[in-house]
Amino acid sequence: MAPVLTFNRVTKTRGSREILTDITFEARSGRVTGFAGPNGAGKSSTLRILLGLDRATSGHALVAGQRFASLRDPLRRVGAVLDGSGAHRSRTGRAHLRWIARSAGIADARVEEVLELTEIADAGNRRVAAYSLGMGRRLGLAVALLGEPAALVLDEPINGLDPEGIAWVRTFLRQQAREGRAVLLSSHAMGELAETVDDVVVIHHGRIVADGALAEVAGGHHSLEDAFFALTSDRADR
Amino acid sequence: MRALRAEASKLATLPFVWFAVVAGILAPTGIVVITSLTSDPNVDTGFAELGLGVIGAIMLGVVVISSEYTTEGEEAAGSQQITTTLTSLPSRPRVLVAKAGAVVLLTAVLAVAAIAAVFAVAGLLLGDGAPALDGHAVARMGGVVTYWVLMALLGSGLSVLTRSGVVPMVVLVANSSAVTVTYLLALRVPAASYLPDLAGLRMFTHVRTGVEIAPLTGGLIMTAWVAALLLVAGVVFCRRDA
Repeated sequence: MAPVLTFNRVTKTRGSREILTDITFEARSGRVTGFAGPNGAGKSSTLRILLGLDRATSGHALVAGQRFASLRDPLRRVGAVLDGSGAHRSRTGRAHLRWIARSAGIADARVEEVLELTEIADAGNRRVAAYSLGMGRRLGLAVALLGEPAALVLDEPINGLDPEGIAWVRTFLRQQAREGRAVLLSSHAMGELAETVDDVVVIHHGRIVADGALAEVAGGHHSLEDAFFALTSDRADR
Repeated sequence: MRALRAEASKLATLPFVWFAVVAGILAPTGIVVITSLTSDPNVDTGFAELGLGVIGAIMLGVVVISSEYTTEGEEAAGSQQITTTLTSLPSRPRVLVAKAGAVVLLTAVLAVAAIAAVFAVAGLLLGDGAPALDGHAVARMGGVVTYWVLMALLGSGLSVLTRSGVVPMVVLVANSSAVTVTYLLALRVPAASYLPDLAGLRMFTHVRTGVEIAPLTGGLIMTAWVAALLLVAGVVFCRRDA
C-alpha cells in the first residue's frame, strides 16, 4: 500500500532549542501506525506540522504528496483529532459538527451519521462543557470522520480514558484501518498500543529512534513496552 | 463562501453572541429611556446613547476571535477550537477574511436594530421634543453603523494579537462606557483626539476635546487605524504557529 502521510527530514527549532530533528517516516493505507514516545518527545509538534498548524523550520510533511495547507478539501483527505474535542465548550456537539460541515460543503445528514457512528447521538444537543472526556474524544472522532477521509491522525486518543473507552477506541481504529484508511496515532503508553498497531515509530528527544513493523521494533525484547523503555531510557543515550 | 457560512454558523450557535446582541440593543435603549425622562433633549439625544451601546459591537468583534482560543477546561487544558478551524480550512487569509466578513455583517445589522430601537423609544417618550429624523440625522445614523462596525473590527484585530478576549474586552468596553481613558487623555494631550474611538465618534456625535475634527475626517482616521491594525493582525495570524 502507498504511503499516505509522509514526513521527510522535518526539523523544528523553537527559540534556540531544536525540538524536532530530521523526522522521517510514513503512514500507509490500511494500517495503524503507532507514533510512540515519552511526554515531551515531540509527538504533538510533529502532528501539528503535518496538519499545517505549526511550521517546520526545514523539511516537509505531506498528505498524499501535498502540503496540508494546499489541500483543496482537507476534511476529505485527513481527519484529525488533537487533544480534547477541539470544540468550544458552550456550543452543542451537533452545532459544532454543523459548522464544520458547512466549511466543507458537507450535508447535515452526514452530521447525524457520524453522531451515530461514534455513539454520541443522544448527547448531540448538549453543550460540550457537559461532555465527559470520553465523549469529547468521540466528538473529535466524529469531526474527523465527517469528510470520509483517507487518513486519520490522532494525538493521544486513549490518554485518560477508562478501560472501556480504550477498548472502544482500539476496536474503532482497527475498523477504520480495515476500511482502507491510514491511521496514525500518537501515544506515550506503549503497552496500550501493542494490540492496536501494525507499525511503530518511536520518537525520543525529537529524533526517530525506531521505525518498522510491530514485530521488528519489539523484536529481541520481552514485549513492546520493554522495547520502548530500552529505546527511550536516557541511559541508553549516553 | 463556505468559510463565511461556517463563520456565520459559529456565531449563531454561540450563546455569548446572543448576549452581545441583546446588550447592544438594550444598553442604548435603556439609557435613552433614562435620559429622556430626566433631562431635556439636545442635539446628541439618541446618538450619545448609541456611542455607549457600541459595547455590544465590541463584544461581538472580540468573541468571534477569542472563542477560537477558549480552552476547554481542566480535563483537556490544551484543546482550542482554532485547531479544528484550521484543519478544516487551512488557508489562514480565508479564515480571517470570513471572520471579518461575518463580524461586519452581523454588527451592521445589530447597529441598525439598535438605532431603530433607540429612536423609536426616544420618539415615544419625547413626542415633539424628539430628535428630528431628517437627512442630517440619517447621515449621522450611517456614522453610527460605521462606528460600530469599525469598533467590532478593532476588537477582532486586538484579539488576534492577544489570542484571548480578556484584555481587548476590558480595555475597549471600559473605555467606551465606564472610564473613557482616551477622552481624559485627549483633554490633556491634543494629539489623543486622533485616537480611533475619539476620531470615530465625530461621525455622529459631538466630542469636546479642544480639537475639532469633521465627521468624514473622523471616520477616515478611524478607518485608517482599524485597517492598519487588521493588516498587522493578519500578518501575525498567517505567520505564527496556531
